[in-house]
Amino acid sequence: MTLVPVTYKGGIYQHDIIIDLIEDLGGYIIQKHIIAAEVVLQCFVPREDIDLIREVSRPLFGEVTDSPLVGTEIAIVSMSLEIHHLPHPSCDIAEYVRRLGAKSNMVSLARGPGKRIAGLNDEERDVINEHDIAVYLLGNFETCIEYKMPTLRRGIEVPIVLCGGPAIDVLRKIIDPPVDGYVGNVGRFMRRTKEADQLDKMDEIIAEITRVLEKKRDSIAKDPLSVSPARLMGVIHEKVPEILDVTSPTPLTVQMAGLRVKLPYDTFAERLRKIEVEDGVPLGEIAEVLPSRMRDYILVRVLPSSETNMVV
Amino acid sequence: MLAIEYFEVECPEPLGAEYYRQITNDVLLDHNLLKVVSKLHVFIDPKVPVFIATGILRKITTVVRVGDFANVNPQEGKMTLVISEETYLAPMLKIFWQRFGKEKVEQPDRFTVILYDVPAQPREIEEIVVADPSESLHKDLIYAFRCIAPEGFRLRTEIFSKEKFIFVASENTLAEDIGGVVREKFALMGEVPP
Repeated sequence: MTLVPVTYKGGIYQHDIIIDLIEDLGGYIIQKHIIAAEVVLQCFVPREDIDLIREVSRPLFGEVTDSPLVGTEIAIVSMSLEIHHLPHPSCDIAEYVRRLGAKSNMVSLARGPGKRIAGLNDEERDVINEHDIAVYLLGNFETCIEYKMPTLRRGIEVPIVLCGGPAIDVLRKIIDPPVDGYVGNVGRFMRRTKEADQLDKMDEIIAEITRVLEKKRDSIAKDPLSVSPARLMGVIHEKVPEILDVTSPTPLTVQMAGLRVKLPYDTFAERLRKIEVEDGVPLGEIAEVLPSRMRDYILVRVLPSSETNMVV
Repeated sequence: MLAIEYFEVECPEPLGAEYYRQITNDVLLDHNLLKVVSKLHVFIDPKVPVFIATGILRKITTVVRVGDFANVNPQEGKMTLVISEETYLAPMLKIFWQRFGKEKVEQPDRFTVILYDVPAQPREIEEIVVADPSESLHKDLIYAFRCIAPEGFRLRTEIFSKEKFIFVASENTLAEDIGGVVREKFALMGEVPP
């Protein structure tokens, strides 16, 4: 059974039917938003059952769309939080990515701007490495990008998608060693992205992110995870009721190979490790429970089956 | 861009120049400053790196008077002012308080001000100067150019006179001969530096 990420949009009336159906089919609901009278569900569902969900939701005027970014956490790396980059383009891109189901965090560098003075500190590096992918939003000049990129990528282990002002072939030429994805002609601009050509550019960014994530998904599939992060989310939700009191929009953030649990590490880490995922298999055996560099959250990294010799 | 007689962005990277032309236009438009600049030459060299903006300012002679945004209706023993735009309401009240005293000025709601027994003719009231937009002009221009200049260019030198301005920024110490470059940029516009 392969689970595919989809978004369900429909009215609030009888939406629990859909939730029950997805859960009965063996799918997982990652996020649920209720906006006025509309419900948006971001979920993983079995590929072969999408048509069934469509059929059941038809009388409720619900629609099911593919959203390849559900279940990923993306770092939008902005060079600073100054007016030069905010709200356009950093927020525009972060918001667009979120619309397609990803959980995007904006990581702004303390000393990102400039050419010679640009730098990346250890906290920023670790925070970026906690994500599935990093989208670097750089400026308009190839000289600057070429000069500062080696500094900004030092120690980054996650795939990087680079957005910059110069054309895509110029970016490819100046970045050495190459990064995983490039989007050209998206540098610094001071206007809202609302025209058709600007939205096309946004779609191009999404396409590039999706392509890079697919590659990462394929490499994970070669050595499958011991447990699906979405399933782990359900287990934690059930066994740690304190998570229900967290006011953050996504108390449990699902990543491709892990989970961010927004509870304090010192208090809950040991309890998390002891949670039984299945009979006699504690969470600590199939995943690492690590302190996150983001506030005092917990980062759960699911181990591949080659290390644990089990898939639950 | 009709208001500007001369507008050039010069940069060794043609694509970069195009982007910065757009950014300059957007920022000046957002800050409502296009009408005060008549000529503008921006030079950016990311290799140095340096950002130079030179330009000529238009003369702004208009000052804002009470009559521009309020109707003065004289009545017996009092004068009612009907405000059409709130922007200059606060400075206007301040002037009234200073001139007539707080007890003679009343503001029953947002758009009405009543003056009781003031020793002035309605005509005089209408002529009172409330604000001078040119006072904050240089401040606004400097802020706009800080937005336009690439980020991280924190070492700056600015000269803003009544008619001309120079804004130079870099992340490195500015070269001593920067005046020569500035002069060249003014020459391109057919002007001399202030």
